[in-house]
Amino acid sequence: MRLLRLAFLMTLISSVSARAAERPLESLIDQRIDAKLAADKITPAGQADDATLIRRLTLDLVGRIPTVGESEAYLKSSEADKRAKLVDRLMASPAFDRYQAILFDAMLNSEPGRGRSGSVRDYLVQAMKDKKPWDVIFRELMLPGADEKTKSAGEFLRARVQDADKMTNDVSVAFFGVNVSCAQCHDHPLVKDWKQDHFFGMKSFLARTYDAGGQLAEREAGVVKFKPTKGPEKPAKLMFLTGAVVETDTLRDLTKDEQKKEKEAGDKKNKDAKAAPPKPKFSAREKLVEVALQPKEAEFFARNIVNRLWHRFLGTGLVNPLDQMHSENPASHPELLQELARDMAAHKYDIRRLIRGIVMSQTYARSSQYGSESRPEDKYFAVAKLRPLTPQQMGTSLKIATSDPKQYDGLKPEEFEKRIEQAESAGRGIASLIAQPTENFQIGVGEALLFSNGDRIAKEFLTDGGGSLLGSLKTAKEPAEAVNALVRTALARLATPDELNTLNAYFAERKDRAAEAYKQMLWALVTCPEFRFCH
Amino acid sequence: MNESSASLNRSRSLDRRDFLAATTAFTATAFADMTGLNVLANPAVAADLKKNQKRVIMLWLAGGASQLETWDPKPGASTGGPFRAIPTDVPGVHISELMPEMAKRMKHVCVLRGLDTKNGDHGSAAVTMMRGRRNEAGLKYPDLGAVVAREMGRADSKVPDYVTFYTQTEGRGMAPGDSGFLGARYAPMELTTNNTPEFIRKLDTISDLDHKTRSDLRDLLSKQFAKGRQSEVMGSHNEAYERVRGIMASETLFDISKEPQKVRDRYGPTQFGQQTLIARRLVEAGVPFVRVGRAWWDSHGQNFETHQEMVPELDYVMAALIDDLKDRGLLDDVMIVTLSEFGRTPSINASLGRDHFASAWSTTITGTGIKGGSVYGKTDDKGNKVVAEQVDAGSLFATIYSALGINPEKNYYVGSRPVPLVNPGVEAIEDVLA
Repeated sequence: MRLLRLAFLMTLISSVSARAAERPLESLIDQRIDAKLAADKITPAGQADDATLIRRLTLDLVGRIPTVGESEAYLKSSEADKRAKLVDRLMASPAFDRYQAILFDAMLNSEPGRGRSGSVRDYLVQAMKDKKPWDVIFRELMLPGADEKTKSAGEFLRARVQDADKMTNDVSVAFFGVNVSCAQCHDHPLVKDWKQDHFFGMKSFLARTYDAGGQLAEREAGVVKFKPTKGPEKPAKLMFLTGAVVETDTLRDLTKDEQKKEKEAGDKKNKDAKAAPPKPKFSAREKLVEVALQPKEAEFFARNIVNRLWHRFLGTGLVNPLDQMHSENPASHPELLQELARDMAAHKYDIRRLIRGIVMSQTYARSSQYGSESRPEDKYFAVAKLRPLTPQQMGTSLKIATSDPKQYDGLKPEEFEKRIEQAESAGRGIASLIAQPTENFQIGVGEALLFSNGDRIAKEFLTDGGGSLLGSLKTAKEPAEAVNALVRTALARLATPDELNTLNAYFAERKDRAAEAYKQMLWALVTCPEFRFCH
Repeated sequence: MNESSASLNRSRSLDRRDFLAATTAFTATAFADMTGLNVLANPAVAADLKKNQKRVIMLWLAGGASQLETWDPKPGASTGGPFRAIPTDVPGVHISELMPEMAKRMKHVCVLRGLDTKNGDHGSAAVTMMRGRRNEAGLKYPDLGAVVAREMGRADSKVPDYVTFYTQTEGRGMAPGDSGFLGARYAPMELTTNNTPEFIRKLDTISDLDHKTRSDLRDLLSKQFAKGRQSEVMGSHNEAYERVRGIMASETLFDISKEPQKVRDRYGPTQFGQQTLIARRLVEAGVPFVRVGRAWWDSHGQNFETHQEMVPELDYVMAALIDDLKDRGLLDDVMIVTLSEFGRTPSINASLGRDHFASAWSTTITGTGIKGGSVYGKTDDKGNKVVAEQVDAGSLFATIYSALGINPEKNYYVGSRPVPLVNPGVEAIEDVLA
């Protein structure tokens, strides 16, 4: 008996200590965020209601609004862990892999108007499916072609191969959260610890990369020289952002012979594109990956991905702007950033672990409404920020919002997934006309004109053909039923009494032409900000 | 402080008290765009600015017009080609005989003959000449149209901010209008297929009344949603929808049949002439920036036939535009810029063509803020290089901004990073500013 009790006690202790070590990330997040709110005497907004939360989670995790069926089931459920179950279901869905891959692709190719140049979307979808950790994705993007499966990752570098400065900056921004281009012509004006040496040091790792007839290749040697603001021209070392230097005897210009070989190899490649260029004995790019991930230097890498994912789900980074993660620009919550970065590194850069932690937190689940006029600044995360939908969210959501909800009812999970994938394709055309949100994003009049007068909107979404929401309203017994269905489908929530009054009044003036009235209401619903934003 | 920047400050000081009052009033509303645009919704301030609102028409000679067959002729030189130079209404200033109409109107024009812009590649040179500098790795600058739209556009404007015509196919993809880091709010309305903008006309399937009332319904729903919420992006979203009806009403601006035949005849029957007339209609209605692209200047072969055909059209249309603006009292507020991505080589190649040349070429600025009749810059006898008063893309843009009353050193913020309109150290050419 005593033995038994002891054993019980032991289990308890060990489980307690395990829990302390494995404390859920969400509680760590809330503790740090709440501590700062308390310290600065700021009252946060309350938690969002269930309808808002399932809409937000579905948009953020799988890139679309929930169907009427999904919302209703969530609202009806009284299970204590229904949110965790929802999150786990969404994160297990292939749509999660597809949508997060699109977001990572946009993050890597953030420059507007570059089209699909540099896109590694297909690679990323597969990487997400395979649950690859972030450091592995980084390695494969930087060192593609190591095996046949990761070759497609090479497009990220290949699209930048003509401009080593750009490659240097894009790599630094995407993986380390630092924009070093200011240090190109002079020492960084804002950041004391960054000199021209840092920019050219980073460039040295990448400048040997070249395009050998469509294949990404790297030279055996190379030297980047630069003219400092003071003093004569000097060669750059292989130097990482932290100042860590990789020693090498390959800092030299190519010999005439090597140049000739490269040219011949390039010519040969044109004829026989399948042959991969030989990997150099000493790969500077491989060294960059190595040094960037070694424990002392990995802080840049870990903090960047934490900040990026935080921004993805909360609309504001712990450090802003996202590409200014340096000593002169501290985080709003330095301890939290550090703890999350450590957790990331300790858990093998598991992207899903952090995403789940963020979206399970109370911080994430706050309402976007705030009672008083004096709204707390974004950096407190006291109120949910309105985030404009991404093009993909817009396209797919528009399709779901304008489809007969029965389309998604009573399906087996695989069938449901397939139907959702069809909605994604149906929304792709319109998505290509929507601007990707960027920092200081503003919506232009072009979008409003497109929605107001584009025949694409009218024909693809506001139709009353088979399977459409408007078509399904033809059988509505009374206008109130149709009005309720419109709001529930388009906005993923029940209509408020105020709205019912407004919409019923709108209908009453057009009751002799019900179909047109419904169409106009649906237009107003999908063009109002409640639809346009994740709120 | 020199004289021109002092006057610049005067004109921009628009009563600090009004400005502050307007700003305070507006922070309370849901759509606080702190760029200052909303200040203009205050009628008193708006009227003040409207009085001075400057506008720009850019005649974009895509492909690279020859300076030797236009603004900087070298008759008699081995590089000069077959055309003569003729005197103009400005004593001592000669231009190509292909421009007899402009020769009578040079007192309104400032010619810059010393452009050295270093870049002879169509695509990247076009990007530079539309922005006054190269894009940086990781930073895409707004082009001139977007900057002028941002500086001169009104939040509640019933017309577009930035319109660009580029209907010919050659080089169209090289320099699309681009608002860079200013984003979609200042992106141009681009006309590439015909003279009416896309989506400006309502579909036949909805009546005008329903189009209006559904938009009122939208407005009502959005006001309900805005309770307790605040966001600049949401402000821009609502602003965009609020502008739709006004912009639709501006469709008639694109319709030159509304112009008396006499005026249409003045601009001539060509597409370039018609689009320039539309540009005049647009700036008259308050559109801050209109670009009219005219391509096929890239005369690697048959340079002289090409220019013999195309320069007279430019001459005729530009002269008509100057007269028209003058008659309407608009020449003091509107600027006409003729610009290409580069000029053409003095040397004549084996196909009797001229190739790309960015080392010594010309541009003109006419109208507001500029000293009419001035010539700045001098090239050598054969036109191979600039020998005095050299100008690069940066100082050209600083000059344009200054002439429009925009401080070239004004900063935009990309995150925390201040980005001035022109790179540090770049200065306007004071000699040509009015």
